Amino acid sequence: MLKKLRILRAASLALLLTAGLLASCRARDEQPGAAPAAAKSEVPRRGGTAVTGWVAEPGGVNELIVPSSQVTNELLFRIYGHLMEEQADFEEHPPTLKPQLAKSWEFSDGHKTLTFHLREDAVWSDGVPITAEDVRWTWQAQTNPDIAWDSTDQKRWITDVEVVDPHTVRMHFSRVYAKQILDANEGVILPKHAWEKLPFSRWRQSNDWFKAHLVSDGPFTIGSWKPGQEVVLQRNERYYEKGLPYLDRVVMRLVPDQASFPTQLANGELDFAPQLTPGDAPRVKANPQLEVIPVWFNLYVGVVWNNDNRLFSDPEVRRALTLGIDRQTIVETLLGSYGRMAISPILTMVWAHDKSIEPWPYDPAEARRILAAKGWRDTNGDGVLERDGKPFAFELLSNAGNQTRADATVMIQDQLKKVGIRAEPLQVEFNTLLTKTTDGTFEAAIMGYSLDTSLDISTNFHSRWIKDGSNNSRYRNPEMDRLLDTAASQPDMLAERPYLDQIQRILHRDQPLTLLWESQRLSGKNKRLRNVKPTHNWSFFNLKEWWIEPRG
Amino acid sequence: MTGFLLRRLAASLLLLLLVLTLTFFILRLIPGDPIRLFEGQRLTLEQQQRLKRIYGLDRPLLEQYGVWLSSVALRADWGTSLSQQRPVSAALMDALPATAVLASAALGVEYAAALLLGVAAARRRRTAVDHGIRVGSLLLYSQPPFWLGLMAILLFSYVWPILPAGHMHSVDSDLLSPAGRLLDLLRHLLLPALVMGLATAGGTARFVRANLLEVMGQDYIRAARAKGLSELRVVWVHGMRNAAVPLIQLFSLSLPALLSGSLIIEVVFSWPGLGQLTFNAILARDYPLILGATALSAVLVVAGNLLADLLHALVDPRARDA
Repeated sequence: MLKKLRILRAASLALLLTAGLLASCRARDEQPGAAPAAAKSEVPRRGGTAVTGWVAEPGGVNELIVPSSQVTNELLFRIYGHLMEEQADFEEHPPTLKPQLAKSWEFSDGHKTLTFHLREDAVWSDGVPITAEDVRWTWQAQTNPDIAWDSTDQKRWITDVEVVDPHTVRMHFSRVYAKQILDANEGVILPKHAWEKLPFSRWRQSNDWFKAHLVSDGPFTIGSWKPGQEVVLQRNERYYEKGLPYLDRVVMRLVPDQASFPTQLANGELDFAPQLTPGDAPRVKANPQLEVIPVWFNLYVGVVWNNDNRLFSDPEVRRALTLGIDRQTIVETLLGSYGRMAISPILTMVWAHDKSIEPWPYDPAEARRILAAKGWRDTNGDGVLERDGKPFAFELLSNAGNQTRADATVMIQDQLKKVGIRAEPLQVEFNTLLTKTTDGTFEAAIMGYSLDTSLDISTNFHSRWIKDGSNNSRYRNPEMDRLLDTAASQPDMLAERPYLDQIQRILHRDQPLTLLWESQRLSGKNKRLRNVKPTHNWSFFNLKEWWIEPRG
Repeated sequence: MTGFLLRRLAASLLLLLLVLTLTFFILRLIPGDPIRLFEGQRLTLEQQQRLKRIYGLDRPLLEQYGVWLSSVALRADWGTSLSQQRPVSAALMDALPATAVLASAALGVEYAAALLLGVAAARRRRTAVDHGIRVGSLLLYSQPPFWLGLMAILLFSYVWPILPAGHMHSVDSDLLSPAGRLLDLLRHLLLPALVMGLATAGGTARFVRANLLEVMGQDYIRAARAKGLSELRVVWVHGMRNAAVPLIQLFSLSLPALLSGSLIIEVVFSWPGLGQLTFNAILARDYPLILGATALSAVLVVAGNLLADLLHALVDPRARDA
């Protein structure tokens, strides 16, 4: 026994010595000789490495073939440029566009031709100039059927991309509509000279080939990629905005377990984590070295009622369900100060949000009255309403692994019980939930939807999108279809406003889904990392302007 | 011996084919369309059809099976991962070394701990040491590995931050010397290997104890003692040699269990191995990658069994005729 203890003690000592030794050999390449005093100021400091953590790995470097995901786009949009950069200033007006690869642009030909004038000083990371040929070839790739890019639909009204001269390119549209400029800007510009060697027909099987032949033009390029571990972004020395980026490198580490973020931030393994849970935020806040940055997220969560189901086909019944759910209490209980009640699918922070809409109150008495008027009565005294001998009972799905939504289903169950409705919470795997809501083989489900700045909500509410699967509530309303189509055909986004207001009011009246909450995305970071300004959809929005103070 | 080996090999190949065939068809019964899953919600039906055509998912299921099987059998081509758009073999080969390192280390921890504890308990049968080890090992064995992992992280990375909470290496480990890189790897390996190894060591320790107790009652052990051999020699040389025969079987059979056990541990410790790869492939309904990972796992099971049979046959000639 003593011998065993001695062995254990020796092993522990060796372990500690090794750990101490190894802890001391952790290296981060911060610029030698930088004055610590200067670092305390707000003057950006050049150099250093920021380590960031992500629950998923980026899919690859070719936007046209990799599955679209948050982390992939965060990476792609920092290594490639768009023609213009969409700003996050959409609270008072549609988002403005800042020059990026294009220094200017103008419409002509009755708004059917859009001409871009490209920067002359922009080059690819291998030194080859970026030209109009790259823009035209990118459009050809984006619309090629063999590539089947998931956003190709946004290019359907562009009939041709014409090279006028090496730095002038013209896009021709077949019609005038509100989002022409956003559609023109959709997708990063790709390097023709580097990637045209591979035929389009082979792109879908060749993700690794693009990594091996990477040529980029953004503030960063890729230094190394260890699958399943990390992607290291390093400064693109040929980036056209001189002096930027400040950081030498940004490491994107894979941390599959979100619960590890607070620990890894606290022990210095991570400098930035883009998404903490509300439950972890207080722990991060309590650490004097760390801080939490809350940003309203472009996502709303609601209970989707399957409008094809006899229980939910009547808008008045759906309104009664909304009245029977105490959404304010749900938000306060589950999200605290990091959430607020959602009122419209056009989120509260967006310029086109109709502020005149008052959320339906929590009014179980009124809910019972509406249901009684519709013939729902508790005839057998079991506490559940019936009509034609069938109880008002349904399964309420949520995706397994999302505890906030699972908790919400239980609260809703309890609240609807008081109205005489039996909701049975059921957690299913995310893919199963997606299949059921796409195929319409569900009754009710808690789902989240993101809204981009184009404010295109037709995929969720136009009847055209029922068979394609993304109008999950299977909401059918000819008036809504007409308004959505009319809004989309306006010459600019500001002109859409009256139609968007009407759309929001109809959705409020018809309640195809009961909106629950909008929430904040909580990023955690070390205070050494400065000038981090995440937006509603991008954590890395101003990555090129991030800078870091030396340790200690 | 050659005949025995050929018989076992043929049976193993058949088993492998059966596992893969079942997996191929069962996978398609699970709800979830990979095209919609990895390409987002905004695809039109036409786009979905186009992508299905590109990946061969629009063909009848039997035809898909035939194409897949022939490409595996004739060209050793496991297809293209739907979620990663790269060869399945490349994705597996990227992840395999990390799992091999973790699994080997965990196996080492498991058997070292199990042998030490099992022998100590057997030698001090019905003493406090024996009871302590039995209760302790049962306690360890009954803890879910993910919980042990989280507790280890809490303890050694947060409360007493001497070890990293995850990953296989430090940022900038590439800049270290080869010895520095090895130390860096060991530092990252320590927690996951200990958690994974100790989580299963409890059960193995009890197995070692039971076997050793049975052997220690045999006549030849009494004879060895009568010859005046040291107790250490009696236990570790004479006793363990026979007690180890069932352990060989257990060791071989624990190879595939390590692969599945690593799934949770890899997620908890951000370890870039096959477990994580398989987990993500299942979530994404990445059929070719799931089949590739299943094949690898099945090969490990079959190889483990084959190895157990071979070792058993080597130790006990009667097994060759079985």
